[in-house]
This record gives sequence, structure tokens and C-alpha cells, in this order.
Amino acid sequence: MPNPIDVVEALLFASDVPLEPERIREVLDLENGAAARELVVELMARYEAEPRGLSIVEVGGGYRMVTRPELAPWLVRLARARSRVRLSRPALESLAIIAYKQPVSKPELDAVRGVNSDAVIENLLERRLIRIAGRKEAPGRPFLYETTREFMVAFGLRDLNDLPKIEGELVIPQLVADGATAAEAHGEAETQQDPGAGGADVPPRG
Amino acid sequence: MTEPILDAADGGLRLRVGDFEGPLDLLLHLCRTNEIDLAALPVRTITDQYLVHLEAIEFQNLELAGAYLVMAATLIYLKSKLLVPPDPNAAEELDEEALALKAELEERLREYARVKTQGVWLAQREAEQLLIWGRPGSTLPPLEDVPLEDLSVHWLERSMKRLIEEQQRMRPRQVEANPPSVLERMTEILSLLRDTWSLLFSSMVGGERKRSEVVVSLLAVLELCRQGKIRTQQTELFGDIIIEARTADPVLESAENPENAVTAETAATAAATTVATTAPTRNEPWGPNPDNPTSASAGGV
Repeated sequence: MPNPIDVVEALLFASDVPLEPERIREVLDLENGAAARELVVELMARYEAEPRGLSIVEVGGGYRMVTRPELAPWLVRLARARSRVRLSRPALESLAIIAYKQPVSKPELDAVRGVNSDAVIENLLERRLIRIAGRKEAPGRPFLYETTREFMVAFGLRDLNDLPKIEGELVIPQLVADGATAAEAHGEAETQQDPGAGGADVPPRG
Repeated sequence: MTEPILDAADGGLRLRVGDFEGPLDLLLHLCRTNEIDLAALPVRTITDQYLVHLEAIEFQNLELAGAYLVMAATLIYLKSKLLVPPDPNAAEELDEEALALKAELEERLREYARVKTQGVWLAQREAEQLLIWGRPGSTLPPLEDVPLEDLSVHWLERSMKRLIEEQQRMRPRQVEANPPSVLERMTEILSLLRDTWSLLFSSMVGGERKRSEVVVSLLAVLELCRQGKIRTQQTELFGDIIIEARTADPVLESAENPENAVTAETAATAAATTVATTAPTRNEPWGPNPDNPTSASAGGV
């Protein structure tokens, strides 16, 4: 009989979506979800104990085996791509509104943004970051939108509670020119994204 | 911190719509560059600056321009309230209305500021997540039951649209008449020349002057020229080409030959056509040697 932890490891490797504890319980015939969680936590500890190329993260209500962020430069090389597609500022802001207010209709979204959101919604739907949750019982019966599991995976959120609370956690830069903030965020991301001149030539381990 | 955008008042800088996401974004930008507290909006200053910016923006999208104008109207309305001295009787109610409008605007601005911050936070998360890779697709056999949770009306609509588009493509299309062939045109020219003395090239092309028709007619004329069945004349550059049947009289022919004023252009094309028709034979390494007619005919027989 193989070690259940090894089975969990194999499950995480083989799955392309975050694996819920409930699913692990089902497959391994465990008593409850807590037992499944314990196994994953133990496996996670094992992964953290020694330097490895992979790690296990909790995201979108399940567990996922992913590569370590510091190895990104080599993976970018493997993919022969400089960087991955990122969302535009309007898309991110609309996504923020939907994430916090969901389910939310287009008129409500438009009201907060002060502009028409048709194109942005189309883009987000296309990327499966949001989906139609139903219709609002209001004039015109507009569609209601909510975020998807893909959204949580794309932003590394365990669940919606992982979003920073509106008051407190998130410092609103009242008097900082917004351009600067955005530029900082993007600049940072881009330097992380770039494999760098010699970065990828350095062997991962000595 | 002071953005060069404030120079817009002097006409020093043109703004594009793309610089701002909408009227709220512009207003928020003005508040921040002026270090204005969002809870106490100075209507006079902000309205003046907003209007200056509005003039500088070049709109291409009418709807977006409308959104900016609505905001301008709101601001101007608020400002007008400040300028009109309050009437002791009627002012109370109006002021309340204006105050409510101002409070609403301030609240909208604060909310938009929050959303912007959340957007920045999401961008950071996105950047972090872009550094990790999970398994893109599993090689496990697909689930027996299709998970319905992640399906949405949007995807249903997509599928429907695609089906309709496919139907559209399968509909009968307008069929164009066969393009005229060079051979047909050659026969046509010869039959016409049996009845008339000469023929104008322009009369053959027809009223529509379709490009394909002109090309085919020219090729037919050139081919007939090459075969020695007709004779062409062009008295002036780019003028009409006169086509005549070539009589079998060799004396007349040799006498008139030098005057046969085919333009350099036509001659060149004719040469090119000739080369094109003969070239494949020459390129065939196993084919009969074109320089040696005896071997060619021997090969043919």
C-alpha cells in the first residue's frame, strides 16, 4: 500500500485545476475533508523543507502544484516568450469592482467607472475571469456578473476573503499622483518578469 | 509631483482620451495633482480646470465624449449654484439639492479612488502569479459528466453565434460569369476581321472596361500578332490600337512591316509572353534540345 501522501502528490501533479480537499477525500476514501487537508499540509511542509523546483499552493478553493516564482526566468526561456499577457488598467479596475460588489450589473459598473464598460466586460468574459450570474430585477433586467474560479487562480486567491478589506488593509494613496503608483506597480512587475541579462545563465543550484 | 498636464492652460500640452479612463479618472487626477481632499471638493477651481482639460482632449468616440460632457454639466451646475446669491425664499431647497449633488460626486470620487487602488493591488497579484506555472492541461481522461458550474450564458451565446455564422457561410453565393478566355477572344477577333477591314482595340473591350477583359483582349491581340494572323498599329503613345487582318500577300507585308508601329511596351509584353510559353520546354533537362530542331522533331515523332 503506497503512502497516502505520495498519492496526494500524484493527484496534484496530474490535475490541471485546483484540487479541492473534498475531491482528495473522495479519491483516497478518507473519513473527512480535514484528513485530506492534513495530508496536503504535510506534503506542503515536505516541499518547503528542502529546495525544490515545485511548490504546492492553496488557490481557488483547492490545492495546486506550481513552479516556484524564482524559476520564472527559465520558464520564460522555455516558452520562448518575453512576458505573458497582462490585463489593462480598465480591465483590472472593472474586475476589482466586480470582485468586491458581486454580483454586479453593467449599469452599476458603469456608474462607478463613469464610462461605458461594454468592451471591458466582453474581454473579461472572454478570458473567463467573470461570468454571468443571472439577471438583476431592475429596469431592463441587466445581466449580473461575478468572478470565476479562474479569477482566483489568476490572482492567487484562496477565496474571495483573500481580497484586502476595503478599509484598513488597503492603503489608499490619497495624495499620490495615480500615474506614479501605477507606473511603480508595472515597473516592478516588468523587472520581475524579465529574465535579465545574465539571470537565466546562472545555474539554479550551486 | 506637479504634472506637466497643468500646463494645458497655456496650450502647452494636448491630452489624449487614452490618458484618462473617463471623467472620474480625470477629476481624480486633478484632485491629486492639486492635493485636494476628496471630502471637500472646491467646486470653482476644479470646474475651471476640468473645462480647460476638456477643451484639450481630442475625442474620437462620441459616447466617451458624452460621458465627459455629463460630468462637465454637473460641475458647471454646481458652480452656478455658488455664483447665484441665495434667494431667502427659494434658495434653501436648491442648496440642499446642490449639496446632495456635491456629496454624491465626492462619494463617487472616493469610490473611484478605492477602485483604482484595488486595481493596482490586483495588478501586483497578477504580476506575482505570472511567475508561477501550473499544469496547463491534464492528460487524464476527461470527466464523464461535464462540469456545469463554469459554463455561462455567454459561452452559449458564443456557440450560437458561431453556428449562425457557419450557416451564413453555407448559403449559396453569387456566381460570377466565366471570365473570357484568350482563345475565345482570339476567335472572336478573327471572325470580326472577316467582315470588316479594321478594328479598334477599344471597341473590343466593351463599355464596362473590366480589367480582366482588357487583359484578355490584349493577350489575344498579342498572340494573334505573334502567329502572324493580324497586324496592329498604334499611331500615338497610349492611343487606340488599330487591328487589321493580315493579308497573305508577302510583298505588301514586307513593305509595310517596318511601319508596323507596335509600341515598345506592347512589343516587350509580346516578347515576355513568348518567353513564358517557351521557357518551360527549355528548362526541362530531359526535354528535346530547342536549339536543335531536328532532335526536337525526332523526339516528337
